[in-house]
Amino acid sequence: MTDQWVSFSRRGMADLVHLKGEIDLANANDIGRVIVAHTTAANAVLIDLTAVSFLDSAGVRLLDYIVGDLDDRGKPIRLVVGERGAARMTLQLCAFRADLLATDLERAATDLGG
Amino acid sequence: MSESGVPDVTSELRLPWDDDPEDLYEHAPCGYLTTLPDGTIVRVNETFLTWTGYSRADLIGHRRFRDLLTPGDQIYHETHYAPLLMMQGEVHEIALEVVGADRRRLPTLVNSVLERGPTGAPRIIRTMVFNATERRGYERELLAARRAAESSEQRVRVLQQIVADLAAAPTEAEVAEAVLRAPEPAFQAASSSIYLIDPERDLLVAVASTDPTTGNWDDMPCSSTRAVAEVARRGDLHVIGTLAEAEAHFPDLAESMRRSERRSVVLLPLTTGPADEQGGVAVLGVLAFSFRDERTLTDGELRVIRLLGQQAGQALDRARLYDDARRREERSEFLARTTRALDEEHRLLQRARRLVERVVPEIADWALVRLQVGPAGLVEHHGGPAPDPARLGARTAEAIETAAPVFAIDGDGLGCTVLPLIVRGRVLGTLAVRMAPDRRGAEAERLFLVDLADRVALACENARLYEQERAIARTLQRSLLAADVPGADPRFVVETHYQAAAQDMEVGGDWYDAFLITANKLAVVVGDVVGRGIEAATTMGQLRSAIRALASAENGPARLLEGLDRFCDRVDSARMSTVVYAEVDLLSSEVTYACAGHLPPLLHEPAGSPQYLLDARSAPIGSRAGDRRRVEHRMRLAAGSRLLLYTDGLIERRTRPIDRGFEILAREYARLRDAPLKGLTAGLADTLVGRDHSDDVCLLCLTLGTEERLERSIGADPVQIALLRADMRGWLAGHGVDTECLNAVLLACSEAVANSIEHGYAHDPFGVVDVAATISAGTVEIRVSDRGRWRGPGNDVARGRGLQLIYESMDDVAFDRAGDGTMVIMRRHRGEPS
Repeated sequence: MTDQWVSFSRRGMADLVHLKGEIDLANANDIGRVIVAHTTAANAVLIDLTAVSFLDSAGVRLLDYIVGDLDDRGKPIRLVVGERGAARMTLQLCAFRADLLATDLERAATDLGG
Repeated sequence: MSESGVPDVTSELRLPWDDDPEDLYEHAPCGYLTTLPDGTIVRVNETFLTWTGYSRADLIGHRRFRDLLTPGDQIYHETHYAPLLMMQGEVHEIALEVVGADRRRLPTLVNSVLERGPTGAPRIIRTMVFNATERRGYERELLAARRAAESSEQRVRVLQQIVADLAAAPTEAEVAEAVLRAPEPAFQAASSSIYLIDPERDLLVAVASTDPTTGNWDDMPCSSTRAVAEVARRGDLHVIGTLAEAEAHFPDLAESMRRSERRSVVLLPLTTGPADEQGGVAVLGVLAFSFRDERTLTDGELRVIRLLGQQAGQALDRARLYDDARRREERSEFLARTTRALDEEHRLLQRARRLVERVVPEIADWALVRLQVGPAGLVEHHGGPAPDPARLGARTAEAIETAAPVFAIDGDGLGCTVLPLIVRGRVLGTLAVRMAPDRRGAEAERLFLVDLADRVALACENARLYEQERAIARTLQRSLLAADVPGADPRFVVETHYQAAAQDMEVGGDWYDAFLITANKLAVVVGDVVGRGIEAATTMGQLRSAIRALASAENGPARLLEGLDRFCDRVDSARMSTVVYAEVDLLSSEVTYACAGHLPPLLHEPAGSPQYLLDARSAPIGSRAGDRRRVEHRMRLAAGSRLLLYTDGLIERRTRPIDRGFEILAREYARLRDAPLKGLTAGLADTLVGRDHSDDVCLLCLTLGTEERLERSIGADPVQIALLRADMRGWLAGHGVDTECLNAVLLACSEAVANSIEHGYAHDPFGVVDVAATISAGTVEIRVSDRGRWRGPGNDVARGRGLQLIYESMDDVAFDRAGDGTMVIMRRHRGEPS
């Protein structure tokens, strides 16, 4: 049901989550559930938001939850956003920590030790 | 005599007929008794004493006449004789048995006269007794003869009834039943049983018995040494009169006779003709009947018994032929009905389902069809209980490997026949059936099953091919329809929808297309090819390509249709297709359209109600009878106009006139005026057609130009926010708003709408959120209003974040809670025009 917005792969030791399309109030909860189900045992998580064309506060809430969860477990996480774009704008407006955001997937993966 | 000197005895002499009365009395040729009214003997003659062996002293004064009679006659004497005598004064020829001194019985006929005294009171009774021994013997013979005649008649009647029953018995079972009933009434047999020969299995089968506790009740091979089998082989009547005889010849029979306390047994072969006719006489079974006592059968009875054997044999023979014919008829009827029923379904799964539902319960109690199609195969079963899967699997594998049926055999533990479904030498799958074990006709049954498998295989193969063609046609159609519709041009938006028929119909020939002829000229088209299936899909693809090839900056719609008419000369399957085609000049907002036999487009301009465009009409493509003078019509459209092209499936219903369909479409289209364009065509199809529709539906909606003011109303459903965003994105882009500003406005607008839905309408799923957007050279203004309950920012972190995003992304934000709801007014300054 959420396949059109979310898919998964691995990059080194990190679990890679690909998000695409518009993430808003209508689908954020479902997407969040799928991501959590896939990443509970992950050692590191990379969330690729470069293909996200819209992200609202519900999407922010979802990312915030996932980041908090991984932080609690001491597992590293990076959110990969483009140089510009809707996702970057929303996350910056919400003042997400700069250390969470990355612009390059490869570099982020390397940072995580993948 | 005296003259001869012989001593003269004249004085003594009497004439021979001159009887001495006393002597006459004593020695008369009949007995005389004189009794008192109470029956006490007072006088008796010598004749009576001689007959009965009594002395005079035994009787006179000691015995009553009644006392000399048998007990039965004593009663008769009291109830009939004596009353009759008292009333009438005399009785005649009463048959009574007198018991002699030696207890021997003497049959007599008796006449009595009652003598009365002067006062009329009874005085004495005089009784004359005739010896009726001879007469009684004669009577007995008569009686025996009559009884014999009666019994013969009874036998004949029973047999006549049996013969009549046999003639009326249409099935083997009923013949057996009728034969079985004969021996008891006809020969007073104690019980009877019938055995029938099954030639295919070489078995003698115990079919029925009036007392199944007698005899050995197992089926036996025809070669068995048991008496029944022996008689069946010999083919002639056997009467086993005594247990000793049975022991001498048929030990098994003797054993069961002892057990069931029988003394005589008759074993009668049921033959198709008289036993003396050699050759051509077949034994079809054996009728066995038995007696509790030793029974000797007369020649007449034996003749009748033989006749019964022949009659029954012939009836059996006839019934078997009749059974076979009827079974064949039933089976062929079943095959015909099944074939017809399968033909009614086109899809493979449904055919398989229908097959097992026909087979069970009509010919089997469980059936399973397994087809080797697709990655997972297809399995349908019906009835139960399901047999052991491992054994069935082994048998199925065998049937597939040998490509030959594996028939059920008695006692194989599975009872299932597995038939390979073979088409053109390839095993398509298997049909497994479990049928009730059949007593007879196994060979015919096998032929029937093979025939059934052939038909099923063909039906399944046809359905598979249909399925394949359907999938190809569907894929072809999808690939053609999914081809990229031009977008990302702020001057227009095209929204399309295709909905396939729900009722398992073949792919239809409906299609839509939109493409840019030049940078500033857009073509939109909706058409409908005659027919269904892969051919229609192919033709549709060809027409679509032809239109793309024919469209040019110079031609225009009418010339294009003329080109399509010529195209039909080469592609005849395109003939009578209908097409609506429009070209839009994106610079001047002029639309030129033409309708070739197609339903008129529906135009909704920003002001006013929807209008059907009824100009520029001509006949379908390639029509021979219709008006093929192709015409076109040109008109200018206001910015924000929506033009709807569609196929007949959207409005045509068998249950209503087409005018009504047009009305409903126009009304619904008007109602959706403020709905976001994205999802509009799907929404229309959903409202007008619903899920259960028998035809394909194809829609294309073109929105031209950019509205000065965007006004949308959406339901309180989060899913609708994305639809609104799509419209607003197009509208903002159409007004040349730069990306950063555009993203910021979209975010703020989405948050404001989400806020209304999540909080204002938390308890009202039917709430409506209105959005209005205006734009000027320097500012974008968005107003989002609801009529729900206002709740301040409060402590809700998520809600706080949404509001924060609105504030962050817009320059001015104001909340107006003056009315019965909340309005958010948001402004953002536009950046440098890009």
